[in-house]
Amino acid sequence: MKKAILSLALLGLCIGCSQDKSAPAVALVMKTLNNPFFMDMQLGAEEAAQRLQLPLIVQAAERELDVEKQMQIIENLIQRKVAAICLTPAGSREVIPAILKANRAGIPVLILDTRVDSTALAEAGGKVATFIGSDNFDGGRIAGERIIEKLGGIGRVAILEGIPGHETGDSRLRGFHAAIDKAPGIRIVASQTANWERDQGYNVFQNILQSHPDVQAVFGCNDMMALGAVEAIAAAGRSADILVIGFDAITDAREAIAAGRMEASIAQNPREMGRLAIENAARFMRGEQIPAYIPVPIELVRK
Amino acid sequence: MRVKSLFLQHGRQLTTLFVLILLSAALWALSPHFMSLSNWLNIAQQTAINAIIAAGMTFVIISAGIDLSVGSILALSGVVMASALQAGAPVPLALLLCLVVGALCGSANGLLIARGKLPPFIATLGMMSVARGAALIFSDGRPVSGFAPGFRAIANGEFLAIPLPVWIMAAVYLIAHLVLSRTRLGRYTYAIGGNEEATLLSGVNVKLHKTLVYSLAGLLSALAAILLTARLNSAQPIAGMNYELDAIAATVIGGTSLLGGEGQIFGTLIGAFIMGVLRNGLNLLGVSSFVQQTVIGAVIIVAVLLDMMMKKRRS
Repeated sequence: MKKAILSLALLGLCIGCSQDKSAPAVALVMKTLNNPFFMDMQLGAEEAAQRLQLPLIVQAAERELDVEKQMQIIENLIQRKVAAICLTPAGSREVIPAILKANRAGIPVLILDTRVDSTALAEAGGKVATFIGSDNFDGGRIAGERIIEKLGGIGRVAILEGIPGHETGDSRLRGFHAAIDKAPGIRIVASQTANWERDQGYNVFQNILQSHPDVQAVFGCNDMMALGAVEAIAAAGRSADILVIGFDAITDAREAIAAGRMEASIAQNPREMGRLAIENAARFMRGEQIPAYIPVPIELVRK
Repeated sequence: MRVKSLFLQHGRQLTTLFVLILLSAALWALSPHFMSLSNWLNIAQQTAINAIIAAGMTFVIISAGIDLSVGSILALSGVVMASALQAGAPVPLALLLCLVVGALCGSANGLLIARGKLPPFIATLGMMSVARGAALIFSDGRPVSGFAPGFRAIANGEFLAIPLPVWIMAAVYLIAHLVLSRTRLGRYTYAIGGNEEATLLSGVNVKLHKTLVYSLAGLLSALAAILLTARLNSAQPIAGMNYELDAIAATVIGGTSLLGGEGQIFGTLIGAFIMGVLRNGLNLLGVSSFVQQTVIGAVIIVAVLLDMMMKKRRS
């Protein structure tokens, strides 16, 4: 009986496990798998890997900000002797010890989407092969300019921030402020974090609506929060008079824009990021030079 | 005969160890990178944080309690220590401060449970939220990062080619084993978990010992905070989320009964290693994190099922 249970357990373990191939593989380590942005990134990486016939390992922590889990994954991939690691850091500084470990093991690290704190990295003596990503500051600025244009330069605006202290969200926020600061008629009435999440975006914006019922536009630092706000606005029956702009242009957001429930979103093209990551990892592994910054174009998605 | 009595005494731990060995053998067969010294040191380092928290959790669960606040206490004591370090406090002082914060939160739990008569689930659920909020307030929601090499050596340093966190984990378990098996606190922890009424009637200061048990859990969370902060070179107010569940899982896989009164500290260590080996192995094999969660959950269930069946057979 005992044996039966144990073999069952092992069988369960083996389901979904592929035999560990010994060919040099490229690893893509993302923040999480349960965000459409990263699913698109994975898709782009898989397509490129298939075209180049490179074995690809995709790993991510269960939760977006679990830096410790991400570090464990990188340590384990070093043991697995992967040929290159493409990484979207869960924390701009917290990943540095993991990058150092990869450096010591002679495994190149390509950074995607979220920048590593370059001063801290230089101080620690670490290095990364490249940064592949969009200029989040620019994206925030574009969102701000769109809101100014739609409101005719006068109005009250709310912001749903990401988790403070994370490079991506902070840059978007700074870019947005840079645009708004130039429009004296626009007033930011509330700026609160909804921790990148849809349900929190809903609740936080519902609360903002209580205290500022006259708000005319909201900028969500990602689409998940913006979509939460869209629902809160619909529940309050205010869909006609509050503009929502998000960031990332995920599928749900594109649908909401097409349906007229959301004004616009900023497209970062994660699929392109995934593709560029694998292609450049392959070039780097062949000993070719790759640029230190590979920009991924950004665009405003609207109806 | 001696083998039999050994088995009766340590049967549960031996079963858990057997599962660990079997799991390792399977991973050895599946991945050429699994069975190496460097990978085992890697696993041991990754397991240390959960194992240290789980040692405290074992005391709590043996006393028929539960502590949901360990992850939040870790975050709070971590950011307090990190801020002290950045303000220029000497390392020993900052470490002491961290441990004091952890122990104080733990004693608050203990007092609420022992004197306030709150169910442990409720008291520590409250503390989970209070300590998390306090960590966010204290750090203004931002990670506190960048420390001197001297502090970081706690996670990076080695002694006899073995990383310091592994030594610290070993020391914690040795001491926890001695406390549980040789001291009054240990005996009373089992007694309280087995039958609190009877323990009280036999003149034991139940309130004091319960408070001590929760303080110990808080103290060990703070110790884990030191290791985590040194490891990531950063203390995050959102660190340690769900760590209470990992610690409870390690304890339960290790054979400690949630009903209290029984359990072995080394079982918990093996339980923590089972979780560490699983995560490591699934990473090496390139298995998706979705599947990983399912597998780890299944192992918890199978381990406890197995234990119940063995118990039925023995009795």
